[in-house]
Amino acid sequence: MAEKPQPVRVLYCAVCSLPAEYCEFGPDLEKCKPWLIQNTPDLYPDLAEELNSREADKVGEQLQSTGISSPASSAPKAEEVKHLPGGKIKKKDKKEVVIEKVVRNKRKCITTVKGLELFGVKLSDASKKLGKKFATGASVVKGPTEKEQIDVQGDISYDIVEFITDTWPDVPETAIFFIEDGKKVPAV
Amino acid sequence: MFKKFSAEEVSAQNQVKASVQRKIRQSIADEYPGLEPVLDDLLPKKSPLIVAKCQNHLNLVLVNNVPLFFNIRDGPYMPTLRLLHQYPNIMKKLQVDRGAIKFVLSGANIMCPGLTSPGGSLDEEVGAETPVAIMAEGKQHALAIGFTKMSAKDIKAINKGIGVDNMHYLNDGLWKMERLE
Ligand SMILES: [Zn+2]
Repeated sequence: MAEKPQPVRVLYCAVCSLPAEYCEFGPDLEKCKPWLIQNTPDLYPDLAEELNSREADKVGEQLQSTGISSPASSAPKAEEVKHLPGGKIKKKDKKEVVIEKVVRNKRKCITTVKGLELFGVKLSDASKKLGKKFATGASVVKGPTEKEQIDVQGDISYDIVEFITDTWPDVPETAIFFIEDGKKVPAV
Repeated sequence: MFKKFSAEEVSAQNQVKASVQRKIRQSIADEYPGLEPVLDDLLPKKSPLIVAKCQNHLNLVLVNNVPLFFNIRDGPYMPTLRLLHQYPNIMKKLQVDRGAIKFVLSGANIMCPGLTSPGGSLDEEVGAETPVAIMAEGKQHALAIGFTKMSAKDIKAINKGIGVDNMHYLNDGLWKMERLE
């Protein structure tokens, strides 16, 4: 009879259950890393190094946040952070309807109306009403910023303010603006 | 085969008759002569041998709730990877290159070029329709159990298409089923 072979003991990863040498092909090596470093540091010699360099990065970050690193790079960053949230909130708070005449070619133009939805107006409904009132085509389209707007064919910009305030009393005249020559001007 | 395998696919678990137990034992001994010295430990004559019948004509051989071998219909018995890891020399070995590892571990069959490239290696003795251990370049332990579609010589000569069917691989359903209660 042949000699009894001793069973080989394979080191299985306690995290992903694979033989430790296969952790790199497992579902999530990141999760295995702490266990690997603890239990089989020789298998992935790069890991320990990586960890060390990451620790170094952390220290670097800390230095930066306490302002020890060059101020030129950290100062603008801080400013950005301060401005961004403030700006966003401002934009959100400002409810307005913006009307712009866009010239398609020499004789044809459309009037775009943005922001009615901010006053609880259903755009599809508004589009129908605008088309009826001005006897023209009107449609709800996605504008350049993915926000929906109403496109009305023809130049109706000067009659539209009255129509809006009459039809949707929730929209104050003071919240209506025109875009003229690239500048935003109040309708009243 | 075991990609989505779970206990739910086990339709029946039965303790087999002594005569069947002897037959299973004999075919395992014939297929894996290297296991013979430890067969009494693995499949103790006195412990009941359980065969779990699963979908797709798959049978699992269990001792004390631990899956040790599987086969399809009346095909050859193949060890589970956990068992093979303990007795790595009971099967002939084919080795895939490093690039093939992630495909094998997602359940893909083994393509000839993965075995014939510089990172791969073939035991020329291996015939067609033979259970083999699938090893990998730079790795010590098997990552899959395969069943050859062609002989090692043909794998080398033809060098395209599927050379070995991937039967069972690390982290598939059977791997995750350490025990079947
Ligand atoms: Zn792992």
